[in-house]
Amino acid sequence: MAINREKLLTVLDRAHKGPICKQFDWDTRVIPRSIATKLKEYGLQKRCDPANPVNQDLELADRFFQAALDLAAEVGMLCLDTQRVIKFSREELLAGLEAAPAEFTLGDGKQAAMFRHRGLADPTPPIWVSPLSIAVSEDVFLPLVEGIAAVPEVDCLEGPSLQTVWGADLRAGSPYELLAGKLQADLFYEAIRRAGRTGIGLYAVGTSPTHYGVLGGYGIPGGYRPAHDIVLVLSQVEIKTSYENLFKVAQAYNCGGMTYGGSWSMIGGYAGGPEGSALSCIACTILLYNVYQCVNGASFPYDLHYMGNCGRSALWSLSLVFEALSRNTHLCLNSVLNQTAGPATEMLLYESAVGMTALAACGTTSCTGPRSAGGKYSNHITPLEVRFAGEVFKKAAGMTIGQANDVANCLLPKYEALLGQAPKGQSFAECYDVAALKPSAEWQGMYDKVKGEAVKAGLPLV
Amino acid sequence: MDPKAPLFHDLEQALLEYDNDAAVKAAQAIVDGGLDVMAAVDVASAAINMVGDQFQRGDVFLPELMLAGETMKQCMAILAKGLGAQGGLHRLGKVVIGAVQGDIHDIGKNLVATQLGIKGFEVVDLGVNVPPMEIVERAEREKADVIALSALMTTSMPYQRDVINVLTEMGLRDKFFVIIGGGPVTVEFARMAGADGWAPNAPMAARLCERLVSNANRPPLRETVVQE
Repeated sequence: MAINREKLLTVLDRAHKGPICKQFDWDTRVIPRSIATKLKEYGLQKRCDPANPVNQDLELADRFFQAALDLAAEVGMLCLDTQRVIKFSREELLAGLEAAPAEFTLGDGKQAAMFRHRGLADPTPPIWVSPLSIAVSEDVFLPLVEGIAAVPEVDCLEGPSLQTVWGADLRAGSPYELLAGKLQADLFYEAIRRAGRTGIGLYAVGTSPTHYGVLGGYGIPGGYRPAHDIVLVLSQVEIKTSYENLFKVAQAYNCGGMTYGGSWSMIGGYAGGPEGSALSCIACTILLYNVYQCVNGASFPYDLHYMGNCGRSALWSLSLVFEALSRNTHLCLNSVLNQTAGPATEMLLYESAVGMTALAACGTTSCTGPRSAGGKYSNHITPLEVRFAGEVFKKAAGMTIGQANDVANCLLPKYEALLGQAPKGQSFAECYDVAALKPSAEWQGMYDKVKGEAVKAGLPLV
Repeated sequence: MDPKAPLFHDLEQALLEYDNDAAVKAAQAIVDGGLDVMAAVDVASAAINMVGDQFQRGDVFLPELMLAGETMKQCMAILAKGLGAQGGLHRLGKVVIGAVQGDIHDIGKNLVATQLGIKGFEVVDLGVNVPPMEIVERAEREKADVIALSALMTTSMPYQRDVINVLTEMGLRDKFFVIIGGGPVTVEFARMAGADGWAPNAPMAARLCERLVSNANRPPLRETVVQE
């Protein structure tokens, strides 16, 4: 779906002429008060049910959607550069959602991935976009990406991120990012060639958080391909945007490309508890599809206290967000799963089993992950956890939210006490034979064990 | 002076309810009325600590914490003036804080700034995406004791090290303790960058600053202090 110029110009115009709101007021008054008011108005307070970490109340999910639609129309999205609010009427928001595609394709040839809207318990296999943009050093970047691209469950690539550019520190907002945009594309193409996955769709540009990576790598000769690859636009918390994001949309428009719109809300942050965070995520998603005209994406919750979303309250919030959006729109929704434990730990696999099952059951079209070790440590990502999470995600297609809830309740006790102190695990080089792209016997043994436990919990992995 | 007197109670309640106008009004009335300003500082500190504890327990969330912190800052400015005649206000020190260049994530930085205020530090918040030279210049101008640098992205972490390098190259490294933190910022990186301190979260960062400024050793420290 091409980006509509008139709508883009309307957004830019409103970013310059919308109502003024200072960021401090937005964060501490507008957002928390508006969310609290809507929760009360729609009877959504204190509805989080940790005993059912995958929400079972679909009427509640629908009510959250209606409240979020009201919230989105009431607050709009703050542009940080102008300190003005980009506002839409309820009718405009609904028209924007209607205009978003129910299906689209990334990649080409045999590697083309068809994204389709999914409903709850939908048997359509979801799309696995992997991994997240975890920083990786240049010495292992190529073999790691080759190993990940060789995982058959991987449909598209987003990360990992380059830690350096030809040995130089990669600095945000500097010319290094412009160089990194093209370098990452070059390395991806070489890695997917080696893996026999030439043509696989790419998310651009994970390495570069600002717009410079997109300007340096998307739509230029030899760079990311606008017909097959998609521009990542990640909005600031809470329901905010910036010129950085709007530059990316403008570049996607110039190149005839597509955008992915993502954001998140922290439980314990500006939006409040799990209910407020869920409401914020749904409202933000509605706005993302209007501000960025994205074809894929969503806002997802995670917990400020352990920086993940595989605990009970965060899972409840996460599942409700995607139930609400899946049932009330035809969007190709994407979530991110934030694990906290690192490679070569059983906990990482258990977090993945619980989270990916919930997302598959709750109607996400695609998921980006994993965020091994919370994304905190360089080189802490391996192909094996990518494979495990992808297997769970694909095989869980068709499971009901009740079954996903049973899996969560069975496996959560194996790791939830460690969420605030998750093990760091091992780096790629520590738990893999990098040359042969084979996991260590210890890491492979953990995979086999947890897979067995997941099967016992009800996952159809065999 | 009875710290339970009505105006002290008003100040406490206003802080617990994040009511900026009422808190400022109570603080001003205490100063104007010639009441014991130090007792008011104690009352306000106890109230803001209660809000901090509520946040840690998950009873209140970030907006409440930030509003209480901002209210406390304004009250302390009024009370500090009032204390001029009563011997002055003892502050733990001054911290210049910001998210470094290229990084516009503010939640972690805001949390640390608020916790520092609760602890009794004077906090100068430079905001986000702050270039190294600007941080150094403000720290000098403010005569800060500590520079606190936040980064949530691996691509902004090099700027934390750049601030330390700028301080060293300008002959200013011995004037400020430098602490660094943020999601991907590990203790190993802090040591490699030559930071004086590292902490894994906001409350620990505030304790770290308290520990650094009360230490007899002056910056730069030979070993990075890890507060966990």
